[in-house]
Amino acid sequence: MTYLPVVDPNSCAGHGDCVDIAPDVFTLDDVAVVIGTGPPDLILKAAEACPAVAIAVVDEESGETIYP
Amino acid sequence: MTGNGVVMVGGGLAAQRAAETLRRRGYEGRVRIVCAESEAPYDRPPLSKEVLAGSAAEESVAFRDLKWYEDHEIELLLGTRAAGLDPARHRLRLESGPDLGYDSLLIATGGVARSLPFLDHENVHALRTLEDARRLRAALLPGARLAIVGAGFIGQEVAATARGLGVEVTIVEALETPLERILGSRLGGWFADLHAEEGVEVLTGASLAGARGGDRVVELVLGDGRSLPCDLVLVGVGTATATDWLAGSGFGEGGVRVDTCGRTTVPDVFAAGDATLPFDPRHGCHSRTEHWGAAAWQGAAAARAMLGEYAGTPPLPSFWSDQYGLRIQCVGHPHLADSAVIEGSPADRDFEAVLIRNGVPVAGLAVGRPRAIPALRDLIETSDPFASNRKEAVR
Repeated sequence: MTYLPVVDPNSCAGHGDCVDIAPDVFTLDDVAVVIGTGPPDLILKAAEACPAVAIAVVDEESGETIYP
Repeated sequence: MTGNGVVMVGGGLAAQRAAETLRRRGYEGRVRIVCAESEAPYDRPPLSKEVLAGSAAEESVAFRDLKWYEDHEIELLLGTRAAGLDPARHRLRLESGPDLGYDSLLIATGGVARSLPFLDHENVHALRTLEDARRLRAALLPGARLAIVGAGFIGQEVAATARGLGVEVTIVEALETPLERILGSRLGGWFADLHAEEGVEVLTGASLAGARGGDRVVELVLGDGRSLPCDLVLVGVGTATATDWLAGSGFGEGGVRVDTCGRTTVPDVFAAGDATLPFDPRHGCHSRTEHWGAAAWQGAAAARAMLGEYAGTPPLPSFWSDQYGLRIQCVGHPHLADSAVIEGSPADRDFEAVLIRNGVPVAGLAVGRPRAIPALRDLIETSDPFASNRKEAVR
């Protein structure tokens, strides 16, 4: 099972909570940028922590949006 | 260009974002950040939550470590206070030390917590800075009686954190319900219930007549004559712009007016964050925003304006609050609403509300359901109740 995070650059305000939780997956440029992959739990946790709800999580196999 | 580069006054989020944006976009000139506080730039939202609770280390609030500033050649002038501005000569006056010349200046001095004249005792607290948080944390001992004046978000977040620390909390609010002017009485009433369920005594419609005590307040006196014994007091009655230092330099009182790009009416002077009255293209007027997201966006936008770039239309205002493990999020302009439609279960702390003005959605509130936010944001953005205002503003 692979979860792909997708950042909506129009909603991201650059809080950086995702970078704190999953530094191997996200980095902060003008907005958060996906730079890698990680365990599904970690990616979901990073997405849920986002105060702006700017990170969607997609199941790579099914194409289904897991979050939000 | 004189080689003086960019000088930023104020070392909060707006200045940090501006500095990062300048370097990221290739600006190679000198960058100096003048900070009144002795701390390097840090993030404020955790001060009422994790830092106050002691669950996060103080160092964790720093935006960057000191090496980052060295690596990016950003000079931090800590413990340095601005005293005035001479825009004609492009010089910033400091309280001590020689003036600083600039090519571009960013005003980002933020806000200061409002105080009450009869509450200046040693056990009266405000919460705006890391030093305030340290002082307050040291006083939040289990069993202590904390009186909070003002049921805004600072007061509410401190109440929630203090309850977690075993502190007895009373909130004194002058309005009939908390957040009445922002969310209306129905949703505001939900917040009063939330705190009451968590063991906070919430006194609404309660004016404050004075305080008794010597060096320390021992009790607050309410307008109806009741007295409220307490060991410490937090005053959370809003903020004012920290712009007194600009008196006489051509900027109006009550905040620096800027366009959506952070430009002032004065050449080479920009402003961002809580010190400003930014132009809101959705309303066609200038108004304070005081949200984290606004300061972040404005800092970056002002830096781009310094470089001759355009950052685009600002995003819809939004803010969030964390209380009792519950996330509360809001998008849009809730203070404009005249009614609200609630879906979900407020009693279970799981609901969303669409706030409406004249039948048009103007804001969305989500409590315990962040998944609702993207749809609420889309709804508000596509509703655009201010389209007519905007046409007038353009004309």
